[in-house]
Amino acid sequence: MEQVDKGLMKKLVDGKISDNDVMEMRRMVKKDHKRFWTYLEVLQEGVSWDENILMRLNDHLYIVSKGNNERVVKCDCGHEYGDFRVNWKLNADLRVRETQEQMDEAYFPAIAAPEASWMEIREYFCPGCTAQLAVEIVPPGYPMIFEALPDLDRFYREYMSRPLNDESIEWFQNKTAEETAKLKMNI
Amino acid sequence: MKTVTEEGVFAEKTLKFKLNQRDKLYSETGHYWGVKELTLKEQDPIRYERFFSRLQSSVFAAREKARFVAASPGGREMGESLWALTTAEGDTLAISLGFISHAAAFPVSIKHMTDNDFEENPGINDGDVFGADDPMTSGAPHPGDTYTLVPIVIEGEVLAWACSVNHIMEAGAPQAGSWPVFTVDTFMDGFVFPPMKTGENLRQAKWWENLWMRRTRAGAMNVLDDKMRLAGCSMIHHSLHEIIKEYGVEYYRQACKEIIEESRRMILDNMRSTMVPGQYEGSCFRISMLKGQQKIWPHADKDELIHVHGVLSVDKKGSLVWDTEGSSRWGYHGFNGYPGGADVALHLQMTTTFAHNVKATGGVNMNVESIYHKGSIYNPDTEFASCANIWAQSMQMECVAGNAIHLSFFMRGYLEEAFAVDDAWEGIQGSGVLDDGTPYGFTNFEWVGGTAMGAYSFKDGMPTAWCSHTQLCNIGNSEEFEYLIPPTHHLGRKLEPGYCGHGKHRGGIGQTAVHWMKETGQRLGVTRGGVATSLTSYVSLGMNGGYPAPGVVTVTAKDTNLDEVFAAGGDTPTTAGELLEYAKEGKITGNVKGWKYDPPEQSMGEDDLWANAAGGSGGWGDPLERDIDAVVEDIRIGQVPEGFAKVMYGVVATKDENDLVILNEPETKAERERLYARRRSESIPAKQWWAEERKKIIEKNMRNELLVMYRKSVCFDGYNKHFKEFWQLDEDFEI
Repeated sequence: MEQVDKGLMKKLVDGKISDNDVMEMRRMVKKDHKRFWTYLEVLQEGVSWDENILMRLNDHLYIVSKGNNERVVKCDCGHEYGDFRVNWKLNADLRVRETQEQMDEAYFPAIAAPEASWMEIREYFCPGCTAQLAVEIVPPGYPMIFEALPDLDRFYREYMSRPLNDESIEWFQNKTAEETAKLKMNI
Repeated sequence: MKTVTEEGVFAEKTLKFKLNQRDKLYSETGHYWGVKELTLKEQDPIRYERFFSRLQSSVFAAREKARFVAASPGGREMGESLWALTTAEGDTLAISLGFISHAAAFPVSIKHMTDNDFEENPGINDGDVFGADDPMTSGAPHPGDTYTLVPIVIEGEVLAWACSVNHIMEAGAPQAGSWPVFTVDTFMDGFVFPPMKTGENLRQAKWWENLWMRRTRAGAMNVLDDKMRLAGCSMIHHSLHEIIKEYGVEYYRQACKEIIEESRRMILDNMRSTMVPGQYEGSCFRISMLKGQQKIWPHADKDELIHVHGVLSVDKKGSLVWDTEGSSRWGYHGFNGYPGGADVALHLQMTTTFAHNVKATGGVNMNVESIYHKGSIYNPDTEFASCANIWAQSMQMECVAGNAIHLSFFMRGYLEEAFAVDDAWEGIQGSGVLDDGTPYGFTNFEWVGGTAMGAYSFKDGMPTAWCSHTQLCNIGNSEEFEYLIPPTHHLGRKLEPGYCGHGKHRGGIGQTAVHWMKETGQRLGVTRGGVATSLTSYVSLGMNGGYPAPGVVTVTAKDTNLDEVFAAGGDTPTTAGELLEYAKEGKITGNVKGWKYDPPEQSMGEDDLWANAAGGSGGWGDPLERDIDAVVEDIRIGQVPEGFAKVMYGVVATKDENDLVILNEPETKAERERLYARRRSESIPAKQWWAEERKKIIEKNMRNELLVMYRKSVCFDGYNKHFKEFWQLDEDFEI
């Protein structure tokens, strides 16, 4: 196999691909460079909204271009999380399992569950569709983990040779602290 | 003009010159030894490839034969060994199957010997034998991994090294086995030795054998492994002399540089063609529960939660930078390491991920910059830190990096390569005295050789399927070494139902064993080595809404009624979970205890049990999106209990008297709706949570061990900034 076509890509994204096809993909001598465009095409057809997907972040989340110099995180349900440079988790809903009883529900046998008072289980849900988007198991007081901040302009220009229209060095920076500064102002 | 050293060797041919020149040219040109053109390859590619295949064959042959010359059963059977050929500077040219990432350690030993003028004293001559296992000076992760290095020298010039490493059967520390947990400093790590000459003319000195016999509890086994490593190195030594005779020294010198440069370029290309540049953050935790157990050394008598933090980024060339800032300061426990050993862990992930279709050489190492901050758990600012068991957390560290890479693959569309990366290995160890007075020490590698594979975005992970630390996943067979551990016998060895990270696609189910102690002799003491215990998860982050892999579980049972159970023909437990269940139901009586942390040494007697569950892997995606039929199938095959399926997946199904699973569709629909409603009612906006959680920090409202953990991370400036900016803490705030 030299190139994954759109039909096969859709099967892969939908989880309906055969083990043989997966093996063939893994055996590719070199990964197909055009795969990213096929991936975007399949993903774009799978959502009901029109904004262009720039990057998939998660099973449900995408970085999309809003056209007016905005790049935001958006769920496939349509819910928006704001600027992708801010950890999207700050704009999710959050359930924290902190008692042992609550934590024991997430693992089996229960002794495999993390220990309360040392650790807590944070489950991040989409405010729009209630999908569970992320799970963190960390001690109380641990900063939210910013899983991925892609350098989109560099990727599109240097890796894919198709620079984005609104390129700027401003796009590759972590703005989470600016958001938490605003939160502090509101306390 | 060429200068001549006192030994009559041209200075340009000394190791010191070569190391300096290699680094200078790489730094100036970005190419290995400044090689911009692959001249030999271009001029005569067949000859070039044939030359490389000769090098490669020599190390493959060494591994396949040496293990049958002399070896402990563990050395022979496990994937935990490696043979390699390196350049004079220690950069790997060709590598066998096995412990591949140890290629990161060879240059550390060779640099140490070079910096300490070994060429002058004790001298480096053709066929000399050097050994090492000291983490600080040799790059060994821990003293259980033991290295042999044999120089290939022609006309006074070191041209190459034949290298080998394997995990020995016992390391000679106060705590018996391979991975001591209850250590204070390096003087409790066991038989630790920096690079030293131990033999000449491809033969070890007698004193060396005597040291193994006197300073470890499995001396005979360790001597066999020493012979195994040297036998392989001797074969490589012989082969290389033959190869150089055929091709000539000049060809050899240039071809080595081109091979590594070629490999470096191809690995860089693999990174660029699969990754999305950017920054990826991750972390994991590991408990060190020593309070009450180190009373003789009060400075070590405490419980500590070790924090491992990493940010993976892609540099301007497209190669990777792994910055561990924020990882805990080193401590008086066995979980520290030095940069070489940390790299051996990190490169497990890098080598298998990016060097799968190229010549696997030192070119891998050149494409990954690892940053281990001075004073941290990976770079202690003391020479005396204990490194007895860095693997107990560094395997988690390399999986944090691995998950970052796999998330990047997912973002770019290479879903077939992206899975939750976990490697929750486990090994029991100990020592004893037989009835006849014979003392012994042991390591049980049962769960060292493999784990379950994590879930992909499109399918479940497989059980007992892989191992991040060797391609030679070895699990599930009864191995010869097991019969050399006299008093342990299996009551069960199978998969532990439900034991994985759950998700839309669940992780591979982990494995469990129940060891039954019989004829325990005069004494038997057992402990464990292994990664995160279940007090924490294996890594902090689940993949895309799935739960991360669980930590390792231990269950011990002492003074049991097992004799009576056998006599009555009753059921005996076959998994760690079953043992706890049987105890709860009163089927097994005695002192039964489940451990979410490393148990201190347990004195085991007749009919006592030691059970564990390990190797479960992480899930991917939202569990409420899991296909209902897949949950029903899990119930049918006994891998997910009915009650847990309802709580985790919202699937209501029951097994009837014929073991047929009947799905209750209306109840399942209602249950899933109820679980979604529960999510809504039990969650709050994260911004509201932020304000509440911030108070805990400001008021220091958490257990003291956590405050200490944060202090040992914010003492690094970059992480301090990260922590304070996230919580918007005043500049002068001290946690």
